Amino acid sequence: MGRVPGALQQTVDLLHKKLEQLGALKQQGNFSVDCETYHATATASGQPSKLLYVMHNSETPLSCMALFEGGPCLVADANFDVLMIKLKSHFQNAKGHKVECRGWKYRYSDFSIKVGTVTMNSSARGISAEVEYCPCVVPGDCWNLMKEFMQSFLGSNVPELPSVFTVKPEGLFAPSDCIDTMTQYLELFNKLRKLQMPGSNIRV
Amino acid sequence: MEAPPVTVMPVTGGTINMMEYLLQGSVLDQALDSLLHRLRGLCDNMEPETFTDHELVYLLKGQQGNPFILRARRSLSHPTAPWHLRYLGQPEVGDKSRHALVRNCVDVATSHSLPEFLNEMGFRMDHEFVANGHIFRKGAMKVVVTKLSRILVPGNTENIERLSLSYLVELSVLAPAGQDTVSEDMRSFAEQLKPLVHLEKIDPSKQRH
Amino acid sequence: QPLKYKYDSIYKWTWTYNRSPQVLQLISKKRSLSTAAAVLLRGAEKLSKSVAENMENRRQRDFNSELLRLRSQWKLRKVGDKILGDLSYRSAGSLFPHHGTFEVIKNTDIDLDKKVPEDYCPLNVQIPSDLEGSAYIKVSIQKQAPDIGDLGTISLFRRQPKSKAGAQPWHVKLEAAQNVLLCKEIFAQLSREAVQIKSQIPHIVVKNQIISQPFPGLQLSISLCHSSGEKKSQRAAPEKPKADDHLYVLEHNLHQMIREFHKQQLSSVLMPHPATAPFGHKRLRLAGPQAYTKAQISSVQQGQGLLEKIIKQAKHIFLRSRTARTIDSLASRIEDPQIQAHWSNINDVYESSVKVLITSQGYEQICKSIQLQLNIGVEQIRVVHRDGRVVTLSHQEQELQDFLLSQMSQHQVHAVQQLAKVMGWHVLSFSNHVGLGSIESVGNASAVTVASPNGDYAISVRNGPESGCKVLVQFPRNQSKELQKGDVVLDSKWSHLRGPYREVHWSKMEGRNFVYKMELLMAALTPAP
Repeated sequence: MGRVPGALQQTVDLLHKKLEQLGALKQQGNFSVDCETYHATATASGQPSKLLYVMHNSETPLSCMALFEGGPCLVADANFDVLMIKLKSHFQNAKGHKVECRGWKYRYSDFSIKVGTVTMNSSARGISAEVEYCPCVVPGDCWNLMKEFMQSFLGSNVPELPSVFTVKPEGLFAPSDCIDTMTQYLELFNKLRKLQMPGSNIRV
Repeated sequence: MEAPPVTVMPVTGGTINMMEYLLQGSVLDQALDSLLHRLRGLCDNMEPETFTDHELVYLLKGQQGNPFILRARRSLSHPTAPWHLRYLGQPEVGDKSRHALVRNCVDVATSHSLPEFLNEMGFRMDHEFVANGHIFRKGAMKVVVTKLSRILVPGNTENIERLSLSYLVELSVLAPAGQDTVSEDMRSFAEQLKPLVHLEKIDPSKQRH
Repeated sequence: QPLKYKYDSIYKWTWTYNRSPQVLQLISKKRSLSTAAAVLLRGAEKLSKSVAENMENRRQRDFNSELLRLRSQWKLRKVGDKILGDLSYRSAGSLFPHHGTFEVIKNTDIDLDKKVPEDYCPLNVQIPSDLEGSAYIKVSIQKQAPDIGDLGTISLFRRQPKSKAGAQPWHVKLEAAQNVLLCKEIFAQLSREAVQIKSQIPHIVVKNQIISQPFPGLQLSISLCHSSGEKKSQRAAPEKPKADDHLYVLEHNLHQMIREFHKQQLSSVLMPHPATAPFGHKRLRLAGPQAYTKAQISSVQQGQGLLEKIIKQAKHIFLRSRTARTIDSLASRIEDPQIQAHWSNINDVYESSVKVLITSQGYEQICKSIQLQLNIGVEQIRVVHRDGRVVTLSHQEQELQDFLLSQMSQHQVHAVQQLAKVMGWHVLSFSNHVGLGSIESVGNASAVTVASPNGDYAISVRNGPESGCKVLVQFPRNQSKELQKGDVVLDSKWSHLRGPYREVHWSKMEGRNFVYKMELLMAALTPAP
């Protein structure tokens, strides 16, 4: 991880302190989420090449998630990275676009909170906070509970219900999976990429 | 354009450089039972395992060179099992004395959204078929006796037609690059299957039309 | 005398004639004898040749039939001109690296004319040198503290050297070698786990012995005893195992566990679907595509090792013995109330249960309020009361003893309560744990107060595990000499109320146990109508 600007680090520390005040316990080990971007080399038709994002999450160490933004997604095992290397000539890895998010994990009863610093090209660009309500997989059932919990340490920065849940055909009551989590991370990364100034952005 | 050859790749970890060693042969339908009997005796003592799979072969046409081939295979007899995506490289043209066909191999287990995903990546399905038969195991060696069937209506795996009156027999081992004893073991095993079936190294490139 | 001369000459001539025919006869006899002898010799040669051939064929047939018998039970294959066999468990799924190859040797050089020895067999087997002799695994559980002695030593997988009638010598030899191989594999697995597993008190692996301490003060040692060669002169009879049949279950379990491990290797769970996928455990293959979390992955990969299972079993055996010992010592030490233990016949290797009843002799039907179900686990004992309360005790024997003592004390008070109902007395107050009086070091004292049917008398009982019982009787005021008639209370009816208490010398009371004494007391205080 590269140099972290003072303001970002302060916010991260503040969040940590608030969590500890609530009574959350710091867990052993770090978490990390990273995302690599590939774009197809010149296609037959003149369409702009789609971007393929390949993401990893330390919570699911044996898996690789491949996403097309707004398109189909794939969950595969770790050999998918090897396959992408073989596809070098068809899909180029945009090395400058690699995003990483690292941080500590906290546990507060049934909630799992991960506060991380998002870095692109070794420069810190923002903060991510992931809140997971472990007993439930259906967003509709626990969104209100999560919102209330987030208010307790994020104050007024609580986000709205993520769009990834609302755009699903079954709506809020389909069980959520790792792809939804990764989609949200991806949205956050893209948002941060577009921002010129480092700022803090919260995602759930 | 094909993927860079294996020898150029950095040797970091076994998964990057897994090689498939392969010997192939065929038996007529009438000889199947005796072959299965022999295999049952020679291979590891397990319950006989049958399979029914559906394979789709995808091509990605690049600007120059040969198209990139990926094989997506799912089990029809175990629908909840993950899809299997396979890349097979060019056969290594090492020394001619090597008894088995050696080629680089990447195996990926994926979720069930694979066909749509491959389409989005730009791959187009070239052909598909249904394979059913028996699997045997002896240590690290896998013996697969397959009957291939053509799919008459795309997407419909029920309506199939047999391609030939024989079964394809494949003896394969997945091992990291550089293990040469593997092909020796395969050859001695293949000897034990003669004269029921002759397993030999068949170079796929010589059969390209 | 010319006639005489004639005779003489004839006689002479015939004599000479008689002499030469004998020689001729001799020669001709010799010749004929030699022809006959030659014929006989030729015949004998042919006969001996055919007998030798027959013998050879028979030996070969014996060898072949013996070989057939061998083949029906053991795996054989021909390599060049040697016949080799496999006595390892590899075809059953074992991954032990020993080759386990034996060689079949023809043993047909004996002369069938001479007496064939009793144990002659046309076939002999040559087993690998490191599998010779016999081996067994010795498990011993020893405790240093005096309260419970050693739980004993048991030899597992020990086969008797004498063979049953009809068993071929090669079969016996091969089975013994296979037993040695199995013992080695089990021991190798155990020592590997002993080194890898992290436990509070680390296991010690020294050459052929694994020492571990499941509980502080309890030592479990597992050793591999391999005696190569035949030492028939040494202690012929195996040391008599103590009448502790728990450890026989251990042998069965060890065997089962290693076979379970073998079976895993051959399980169809490893076969790939679709067929082109690599070999590997079915659930691990799902881990990637279904995004298993770290917790899910470790739950798929982890299985309890052999050593852990054995240690758990040893702990349970120990805990069970200790519980039994505690209950028995209490039962023999304390006569009133009585403690009964009914052990259940069918137990698990990690869990046993016993039903403990505390009763008073003669009053079993009346006073049966204390019935405890003890579930003895690996490290704890769970006690379930009749009324559903659950108490968890640790492995310390003092805890169980104290608990039972306190239950016994409570029983006495409960007994008074039940007795009162039967006798028609009214229960005025009852408390399982009294907060008054001296503090007991073990548990709490209980107390009950009952009043006679007509209300004249009351009996108060306080019973504690340590302090024993104290019985007081409350008399009506008009019976007590201490109270003086006062000026305030004038009405005579007030003198019928109960007044002061007087203690009963309980030890001097008649009766063989507490409840009997109590019954007598109640009866004495209930006036006849």
